[in-house]
Amino acid sequence: MIKTHRTDILIIGSGGAGLFAALYAKKANPDLDVTIAVKGLVGKSGCTRMVQGGFNVALSEGDSIERHFMDTIVGGKWLPHQDLAWALVNGAVKRIHELENEMGCYFDRNPDGSLHQKAFAGQSFDRTAHKGDLTGIEIINRLAEQVWARDIHRLEEHRAVAFIPAKDGSGIAAVLLIDMHDGTFRLVQAKTVLLGAGGGPSMYRYHTPSGDKSCDGMAMGLRAGLTLRDMEMVQFHPTGILAGNDTRMTGTILEEGLRGSGGYLLNGAGERFMFDYHPHGERATRDIVSRAVYEEVRAGRGTPNGGVHIRMAHLGPEKVAKQFKGMVKRCADCGFDLAGGNVEVLPTAHYMMGGIAFETDCRTALEGLFVAGEDSGGVHGANRLGGNGVANSTVFGGVAGEAMAEAIAKGADWREPDAGVVEREVARCLKPFSQTPGDLNVIRESLLDLMWDKAGIVRDKKLLTECLAGLDDLGERHARAGLADSTRRFNLTWHDWLNLENQILVSKVIAQASLAREDSRGAHYRSDFPDMGELETTRYTTIEMSPSGELKTGSRAVEFTIVKPGDSLIEGEAGAPPEMPPPPQAAE
Amino acid sequence: MSPPERVLKVDIWRGGESGRTQRFEVPERENQTVLDVVTYIQRHLDAALAYRFACRVGVCGSCAMTVNGRPRWTCRTHVSRVVRRGKLSLAPLANLPVIRDLVTDMTPFFEKWQAARGRFVPGDGPRDEMAAVSPGEKHRIAASDAIECINCGVCHAACDLVSWREDYLGPAALNRAWAAWNDVRDGDRNGILRAVVSGGGCHNCHTHQSCAEHCPVSLNPTFSIAGLKRETLKAKLRGELK
Repeated sequence: MIKTHRTDILIIGSGGAGLFAALYAKKANPDLDVTIAVKGLVGKSGCTRMVQGGFNVALSEGDSIERHFMDTIVGGKWLPHQDLAWALVNGAVKRIHELENEMGCYFDRNPDGSLHQKAFAGQSFDRTAHKGDLTGIEIINRLAEQVWARDIHRLEEHRAVAFIPAKDGSGIAAVLLIDMHDGTFRLVQAKTVLLGAGGGPSMYRYHTPSGDKSCDGMAMGLRAGLTLRDMEMVQFHPTGILAGNDTRMTGTILEEGLRGSGGYLLNGAGERFMFDYHPHGERATRDIVSRAVYEEVRAGRGTPNGGVHIRMAHLGPEKVAKQFKGMVKRCADCGFDLAGGNVEVLPTAHYMMGGIAFETDCRTALEGLFVAGEDSGGVHGANRLGGNGVANSTVFGGVAGEAMAEAIAKGADWREPDAGVVEREVARCLKPFSQTPGDLNVIRESLLDLMWDKAGIVRDKKLLTECLAGLDDLGERHARAGLADSTRRFNLTWHDWLNLENQILVSKVIAQASLAREDSRGAHYRSDFPDMGELETTRYTTIEMSPSGELKTGSRAVEFTIVKPGDSLIEGEAGAPPEMPPPPQAAE
Repeated sequence: MSPPERVLKVDIWRGGESGRTQRFEVPERENQTVLDVVTYIQRHLDAALAYRFACRVGVCGSCAMTVNGRPRWTCRTHVSRVVRRGKLSLAPLANLPVIRDLVTDMTPFFEKWQAARGRFVPGDGPRDEMAAVSPGEKHRIAASDAIECINCGVCHAACDLVSWREDYLGPAALNRAWAAWNDVRDGDRNGILRAVVSGGGCHNCHTHQSCAEHCPVSLNPTFSIAGLKRETLKAKLRGELK
């Protein structure tokens, strides 16, 4: 039996995008019935909460939205959709004031009481507003409190599984969800829907996102026939913790500031190696450091567990323990001494720049469906600047909330769901229960290694072709793997099965898009095509799935609607740090 | 021949409000958190085991459980710190309804958070500026000391008053109220005092300090509650509170 439910606006996800959308929709029209459905608990699942860095916004004298824009475009290697990037940098100014004055966020201050904005790699101005190194918790807690206080329905531990189109093909009619508590299905009909479930490259052996992330939103978008763009662009963060097999902590981030403040990366022989790769050493950008660490390990110069060491002790253990309190405690809880010893690290898959193609008002090609945050693609291009992630989700979440309310004001109404699609999607989800139980662990472990080894930090045609063949094989093994039907109530193993199905599908999309892009830009590096290619003729990749499940890759020219390669809106070099502090002298 | 694998004996609560414990044997690893142990059981020994987690790194506060009788965050609790004679005993958090196995319903916890006015109410300051707030100012220091709560529910589970008095707002909610009251930008600070002075409010706290002792991020809700007690009394003397 399927429970049914009607609401005006359904929001999938409760990160920065989902929560801001709900608040904005309610502000636009308090009479609207707004429902948030989320895989975990409101405000406690997903990745906005995990943001350590901060929120990029041009506020200070000497900075400008043009400067923030140019840093974003140059950092994204001219691949961003310029109107979206412009909407981001403009919207960030409004959003930070709302977070401060309407949500009550505590952002760190300078001694004179003004907002403190810190430096972040790849930016020509210190513009990252933050709350220590736990900015995400602050933003999400304050947003969630405002959502709890309002008449907004919560469907917690409700996993979205499919967008259900209208019977007459006029747009989206409903979303099919699984109520994880009792294991039954719920069909929520809505006049407009926001997808804000987040991305998260959790199909890589080492990854940073929240453990509940499995690219559900992108997979749902593919099944609904939507076009995804820039899917080859997976950002790797250089320093994830290596804690050993079967540890959930492995892959989680040790923050960028450790290197920024003078931390060393040491290979297995205890030698610094970053200056062999780049004149900025450990302070080079994420992509460069990630690739260098990967090469160092691949050349056999890694640590016993196949990583490198990060070392802070030369800066004074007491000072490190004070300045990086959170990181030091996190390491100590895993049994590592960050302040005084070495901690093994490895690059880790962090963020997906790609996602569902969308417009500046967050509309998608499916009428009634809006998208915001990491599920969307095009804002960041080939690389996301640290601090542009939470700005992106909160800016576009608010935009979507307003746009959805407006669409309803202009007459968007409930549509009749296509019952055939509902039936088909329910059958897809229940399929494993009618099959012989299989070993999901083997499939998951194989997927993690396959993506890491063949579609990761360094790619080439041979690796990617092998990756796609391997993914086809894993897809078939997954489709045959069954589950014991003991209970469907809070059955995490059923959700693991559903997670894997989505992760394998989106992995295919990443590998295929990576094969299609025959150049190296930002996060995407092809050792067989190491050059960036001509900027003037930059194209972005697109990918969509046919009803028969075939993935079709294409490409389109980037429209330089605001600035062309070679031109600039600012004085000075975009993306270059305001002034490079000299590398600190070693204590010994 | 490799040395024989060491094994942890893990007793886990199975069922809802009523149920039983079940014993599992899990290979011991050099690096292993309690969440890793639970994950191993679900992945390899009993696919139906229910537990909750998300961020896996001590940020979301989803995975708290009772570990050998004490409430703890499990993603950041190394087994070596809590194991006793090779044994672990795991149960859902106390003082919250049980959904299944290790999962509790946190709704009452967040309802109390709201009842304590645990949220910001905008004041009449300009909305398009960042208010000048000195980091060394007394109220800002008090608020900063209390604000980094991850709402994991550990203090709520550790508090004996929460277990005795159903309407007691509890340490997490009151701690949030204290941070809110110290926010000079807030538009209704007396409203916070009204919210925390009534029946199940701050004056119930008997300063047992369990909350501070168990808080995984080293906050001190008892101290915050003492602040609320002081300020509500002062407001009463001034005639601002009934």
